[in-house]
Amino acid sequence: MRGRSHIHSAISLAILLFFFLPQSIAWAKPLTYTIADTTGDWGYPSPHRRYPRGPGYLRMSFIFDTLTWKNEAGEVIPALAERWEYLGNEKAYVFQLNGNAKWHDGTPFTAEDVAFTVQYIKKYPMAWIDPKIIGKAVTLGPHTVKLVLSERYAPFLINIAGTMPILPRHIWKGVSDPRRFGGEKALVGTGPFRLLDYNKAQGSYLYGANYDYYGGRPKADRIRSIKVAAEMSAAALKQGLVDAGSIPPDLAEDMKRAGFRVIRAPYGWHLKLVMNHRESPLDEKAFRQALAYAIDRKGLVEITQRGHAMVGNPGFVPPDSRWYNPQAKPYELDLDRARRLLRELGYAIRDGKLSRDGIPLKLEILSQPGFKEVGLFLKEQLERLGVRIDLRSLEAKTLDSKVLHWQFKLAISGHGGLYEPSFLKRAILDEEFNSARYRTNQELTRLVMEQQREMDTARRKEIVFRIQELYAEDLPNLPLYYPNWYWAHNERIDIFYTRNGVAIGIPLPLNKLVFIGKEK
Amino acid sequence: MRSIIGRNLPTYFAALLIILSLNFILPRMMPGDPLMAIYGEEALVAMTPELKAFLLRSFALDKPIWEQFFAYLYQMGRGNLGFSYYHSAPTLEVILGRVPWTILLIGSALILSTTFGILLGIESGWRRGKPLDRSLLSGFMALTGFPDFFLGMVFLLVFGVSLGFFPLSGSLTPYSGLSGLPLLFDMVRHLILPVSALTLGHMAGTYLLTRSAMVTVLREPYILSARAKGLPERVICYRHAGRNSLLPVVTRTGIWLGRIITGTLFIEVIFAYPGLGTLTYEALLARDYAVLQGVLLVVAIVVLLANFSLDLLYARIDPRIQHAH
Repeated sequence: MRGRSHIHSAISLAILLFFFLPQSIAWAKPLTYTIADTTGDWGYPSPHRRYPRGPGYLRMSFIFDTLTWKNEAGEVIPALAERWEYLGNEKAYVFQLNGNAKWHDGTPFTAEDVAFTVQYIKKYPMAWIDPKIIGKAVTLGPHTVKLVLSERYAPFLINIAGTMPILPRHIWKGVSDPRRFGGEKALVGTGPFRLLDYNKAQGSYLYGANYDYYGGRPKADRIRSIKVAAEMSAAALKQGLVDAGSIPPDLAEDMKRAGFRVIRAPYGWHLKLVMNHRESPLDEKAFRQALAYAIDRKGLVEITQRGHAMVGNPGFVPPDSRWYNPQAKPYELDLDRARRLLRELGYAIRDGKLSRDGIPLKLEILSQPGFKEVGLFLKEQLERLGVRIDLRSLEAKTLDSKVLHWQFKLAISGHGGLYEPSFLKRAILDEEFNSARYRTNQELTRLVMEQQREMDTARRKEIVFRIQELYAEDLPNLPLYYPNWYWAHNERIDIFYTRNGVAIGIPLPLNKLVFIGKEK
Repeated sequence: MRSIIGRNLPTYFAALLIILSLNFILPRMMPGDPLMAIYGEEALVAMTPELKAFLLRSFALDKPIWEQFFAYLYQMGRGNLGFSYYHSAPTLEVILGRVPWTILLIGSALILSTTFGILLGIESGWRRGKPLDRSLLSGFMALTGFPDFFLGMVFLLVFGVSLGFFPLSGSLTPYSGLSGLPLLFDMVRHLILPVSALTLGHMAGTYLLTRSAMVTVLREPYILSARAKGLPERVICYRHAGRNSLLPVVTRTGIWLGRIITGTLFIEVIFAYPGLGTLTYEALLARDYAVLQGVLLVVAIVVLLANFSLDLLYARIDPRIQHAH
């Protein structure tokens, strides 16, 4: 009898093993996630050696953590700091750090590391981090640190606390040339992954999971980032060579039909018509407004971008941003209104051509090879208004230089970073070629500076809304469109774009939260 | 041989000086800060005042133009092609990391296109007017109309995307865990499509030139003598006619080397092959002027060296050259 029960047990066990073992083996098989990248090499992923571009930062962010981070909705969430408090009277943030966080070499992470990082960055600047914003760092306990700001800075939790990678003091205290520091120690972070290999020539990265990660066990055991030519990413996805990659907008529908999930980046880049508001006739607000009324921006998107873009908001902030004010003047196509504005300025229309004091109105548009169609479209639109247009295509750097030195009338140019409203100062007031450098409207100038310092989000939003109204009214530049950028993936891992971009505003769906089981 | 070197060296030296001068002048003619033109926009992000002062000093950018030129020549002589702020590394180091892949690509394409071009040209010329000659001639005539990058795109779409016979990009499968012979096979698989495009793109010229030289040489009296002596056909074809048809081909190979290198730049971009072409393309996108100028200089010097070597080879193939002039 006992013998039979043994046989029964053995058979049951065999059946169980037969049905479940292969699956358990399948579960145990490490998940390797492969990302296609069109450039490939984004530099050695250490904080000082990564290339100062978004993809370089993201490859570093898998290894190094920051105090705060952003979730899919773009909200600031805890990372190395568990919670924080703003002390208004001291202009300081007090961060309570995560006591479970450890460096990859097993050393516990402490407040000393944060204080050290601040000091280190002041001595050896790191791309994107303005060390002047932090006055000093004071450790208040093993896991408490106070960062005193030199002035009130509204985007501190995103642009500094959420972007500055924290360095291990015990390693970096002896490093005097961070741009040459390499090897295993240079890549000891607290992040969810460790670098297993980096091949500069091949443009490939291999990461292995840090299973002791304080923020949760990584979903992917390995992440590979490999170089695939831009035109080939869709084919590489279809052939199963990669799990995710960017795709050209025209392939979005095709990839959806092929069973891939296609995701669109939140709008963070724009193409604009830059206007020289320091010289006649563009120094007159009404003239700039007339041009805006004469340009069919919807048509521009349909024809030149085949619909793969969002029409520009004259108030500057992209329409999908939580800072977007729909009340800003929209400048719908209205040729009569444009002509009326010009007549009020003293222009006369004869044979369909505009002139003032007998002098025909003639403007030059500087364009770039990448925006040839946009240039042609604008020429056609403005000539319909009666302006004679000379369209001149220049290499991007030459165009930027001409814009910087105000040697132009109209120019087609663009830039990104439109997520956090701090871009308004950079793009409206700062003295760089990407900026409108518009200080004529004192209220606008004051508000742009104020929003940067306003620590109350609701009040800041009011200010940003008003800025958009003023910007759209004065129109120093005219935003034309925000292009659609797509990634496709096979849903092995549910990758997502972060609203307002990762960290400082990187418009790529490679937020490290994608690869760990943390809050989406 | 010495006389050849003595005769040609000043010409090459002058060419080198002109290339160096152009490389010096171009960034200084660009609008804006010359330091930014030389080092690119990234320099502005990473540069500290001390480093800026050091760079200004080392390239004498604060001095008159002729002093800048001598400082530049001195730095070039020391192998200092500048620093790429985009790559956070010396330019020469960045370039040298990519050179082996480009050499592999160009070397394979050059050897294959020259060898097959010559062999088919000799056979075609030898059988002038026969079916093999006619089909080869019309085939290659058609091929000359296609630039190598077009062939590359067609090959990639047909054999990579549609049929999936070959990899879509790169020079090897990243993190495949292969080593030894399997790794070599993997590299060859990645090499086949770009090399085929380059080889076919450039073989037509070699073939047509060899064939036409062969047709001319076959009319020479010494061929008649060789036949009269009763030499075997293969010996007449290859040793007497074929060898003498090589002279224009060698000259052409030298001239075309530069074109193969520029062709390789496009091919590398199409196949995302990690050589100098892809590096140049990336540098263009990132406005990394340090790397762009470095690549231009290295390529120009390589072409000069290759042409110089071919001059020497030419003298060996045709000893009359040594006694010319």
